[in-house]
Amino acid sequence: MKKQVDAKNKKFILTLVIISVALLACTVIPFSIYVKHIIIQTVFYAFMATAWNMMCGYTGRLSLGHSAYIAVGAYTSLILYRNHNLTPWVGMLLGGILAMALMFLIAFPCFRFGLKGPYFTLSSIAVMEIVRYLLTSMRSLTSGSLGMSLPYHKTNLFHFQFDHKEPYLVVFLIFWLAAVILVWRMERTRYYLEAIREDDDAASALGISVTKNLIKVALMSAFMVALGGTFYVQYYRYIDPITICGPHMATNLALITIIGGSGTLLGPTIGAALVIPISEILRTSLGDKLSGLHLFIYGIVLIVMIIHMPKGVISIPDVIRRKRESKKAHIETTASESGGASNE
Amino acid sequence: MIVLQILASGILLGGIYALISVGLNLIFGVIKIVNMAHGEFLMIGMYAAYFIYTATQINVGLISIIIFPLMMVLGYIIYRLVIKPLLGTAETETNTILATSGLTFVLQNLALMLWTADYRAIKTPTSSQSFSLGKIMLSVDRTYAFLICLVLVIVLYYILMRTRFGAKVRAVSQDKNAAILMGINVNFIYALTFCVGIALVGVAGAIITPIFSVYPSVGVFFGTASFIVVVLGGLGSFTGALLGGLIIGLVETAAGVLASAELAQVFSLLLFLLVLFVKPQGLLGKNARV
Amino acid sequence: MSEAILQVKGVSKSFGGLKATNDVSFDLYEHEILGIIGPNGAGKSTLFNLITNFYQIDEGDILYKGESIVGLTPDVVCRKGLTRTFQVAKPFSGLTVFDNILVGCLPGSATVAEARDKVDGILEIVKLNDLAHEPGGKLTTLQRKRLELGKALATNPDVLMLDEVMTGLKPHEMEEMMGLVLKLKETKTIMVVEHVMKVVMGISDRIIVLDHGVKIAEGTPTEVTNNPKVIEAYLGRSAKKHA
Repeated sequence: MKKQVDAKNKKFILTLVIISVALLACTVIPFSIYVKHIIIQTVFYAFMATAWNMMCGYTGRLSLGHSAYIAVGAYTSLILYRNHNLTPWVGMLLGGILAMALMFLIAFPCFRFGLKGPYFTLSSIAVMEIVRYLLTSMRSLTSGSLGMSLPYHKTNLFHFQFDHKEPYLVVFLIFWLAAVILVWRMERTRYYLEAIREDDDAASALGISVTKNLIKVALMSAFMVALGGTFYVQYYRYIDPITICGPHMATNLALITIIGGSGTLLGPTIGAALVIPISEILRTSLGDKLSGLHLFIYGIVLIVMIIHMPKGVISIPDVIRRKRESKKAHIETTASESGGASNE
Repeated sequence: MIVLQILASGILLGGIYALISVGLNLIFGVIKIVNMAHGEFLMIGMYAAYFIYTATQINVGLISIIIFPLMMVLGYIIYRLVIKPLLGTAETETNTILATSGLTFVLQNLALMLWTADYRAIKTPTSSQSFSLGKIMLSVDRTYAFLICLVLVIVLYYILMRTRFGAKVRAVSQDKNAAILMGINVNFIYALTFCVGIALVGVAGAIITPIFSVYPSVGVFFGTASFIVVVLGGLGSFTGALLGGLIIGLVETAAGVLASAELAQVFSLLLFLLVLFVKPQGLLGKNARV
Repeated sequence: MSEAILQVKGVSKSFGGLKATNDVSFDLYEHEILGIIGPNGAGKSTLFNLITNFYQIDEGDILYKGESIVGLTPDVVCRKGLTRTFQVAKPFSGLTVFDNILVGCLPGSATVAEARDKVDGILEIVKLNDLAHEPGGKLTTLQRKRLELGKALATNPDVLMLDEVMTGLKPHEMEEMMGLVLKLKETKTIMVVEHVMKVVMGISDRIIVLDHGVKIAEGTPTEVTNNPKVIEAYLGRSAKKHA
């Protein structure tokens, strides 16, 4: 057992190293801006989906309102930067704390009263809607539905603004790596969350504090996606309530995670590597001709995935192995049956 | 005076909300799935009514009679393609939420591709007319819609409570396995419930078309509203949906008059969260915490 | 007799006006097996739910090692050393048998590696070694009951509360399970709720009898079976029912 665990860990570290090196190599290869843009977005969404998965994938509490926390992060750091010239590096920490406060306000009653299933999902959506209405109506602070743009500054680390794409890639890569390693290191919590997902009564009967563990990961997840909100502002340089605080952003995180494999370490990353390039290419190639076609396809992909591969792409090797094993077992059974022995 | 006016307008709006959410509630109550694309079916009903009306100029009440079977067919297609494959799996609850979220994108963007993002409205002879009842002014179209809602809800209530078929549906919703043992064809009841639920929201769409403009994402607003209504009254509770509709109609009208339309939304969402935390089974729901 | 490890004092609980548990008191002593019997709906499982705080009691007090545990959450009760199983076994279906047990070991272990080392020993006790890598959801009834017991053992409890771990088993499986429980008595204190009379009589040192939430008798298996109240309330009525 111990050897198996060690081997698994080694393989995992190796995978992270390979991905990181490959991405760092991208900064020196003269790809076109468009390709770099796709790579950066992929890393960004890999980070975001990892944060979503940490809470929703492992616990089975499906949040379709994570945009609320992304928006809190994005607006906090942007407003502080515009109005008080506060560096986004500090602003994003404040945004993260604010997002955690909001999450606590919701998660505490939700988990304390055992809300799950559709009730939890609906409450998460309600929070997102409330935050969006507030952002839209606080016009003096947020310019409402017009949105806000980031005041331009030439390349400057302090201002978290760069004229080239590469520095963004490096920053996002570091945060993605940190997030994945964090989830990986939380091995005990992951087991607890999985137990809670399967049956929370049984988990608490074994001495696991359901409420505490759920709130803990909910806060961590809110903090992380709020940081992502700041990244979004700094990279795209413009936000408005419906894009950053709407259902599309929230569903996207769920979709990416599920396509990759929810409740797994690298599922969200695999999902982002598949979903983002494809949807980006679809958007640019189809978006002009027929607006809406790429989201139409996006919806169909989501439905087909949920029906045919609910455990995500990461489960494919497993499924194949199972099939092979059961085939083998079947052959053995028939062989032994013909020999007169019965197999239970 | 203003109190009476708010009360009257609120009740009219509440009736409309109740009708919009009845289908959602029926589907949840019987099949135990949340249809996230509920608002999008409303949108389709609205477009259907818009096109039929511009082509024929016939009465909206008649249009709904045409739309009902059409929406049932659409409901059946969706049921076979999206819902049925997910029933009886380990994660039916979450998977149906996700799949119907996907359906939201499909339907919204299909509408966008077919009919563009333009706002469309129909002008009936009674559009923007109102009549006075004592000192209260009421919109003719809204009153008309309210009355149709009332009739539909009563008919549905009668079918559910007084017919053999309704008894079967209620049996399935209370205990699926017991219903199977009693020889009820659960699959058939599920399919029919889904179709009727979709047809009802389609009809609701038709009825509100003279009042609200239609555009591809109109369902987002009404979808959220119906979730609020249904959770407030109690997911799966029929009378609860009526009560929820009335409460939200009144709250939104009052907040809209006294504050702003956006704040009215925030208000009903907060109410929604409060009910979820304190009494998730809704004001009239019987089922314990899920 | 040694000091009582668990004292239940005048505990009552109502659900919507119906008294599920009515002024029940008893003591549990170290290293004994206490059987709880009673007809369907007598409030046996409710009693377990009350002691482990899955439900909160309305009246009375519950002392564990001299300390009140009323108002705690189930997980805290478990970490104090009181672990229960569920009448309907609740395996973590998506996790392997190994991980099911591992989850039980974790709260009491300093590191995950330490918890991992404990798993094999428990798999051995409940005879699930061969199925360690099967998902919990794929087990048979007997295997599920064993896993349920294994998960409870994984928390290394002082008091083990077994809720119908033998119901639904075939006679030879039951024998096996009884042997296992008797062996556990050497290190643990055990409470068993059972439907099957033969089982309870065979393994219990003492028995309490519940009927409609009220404790109607307490004593050794022989005393209880000869108690006219018990015969009337439990055996008599169920005999009539089966007639």
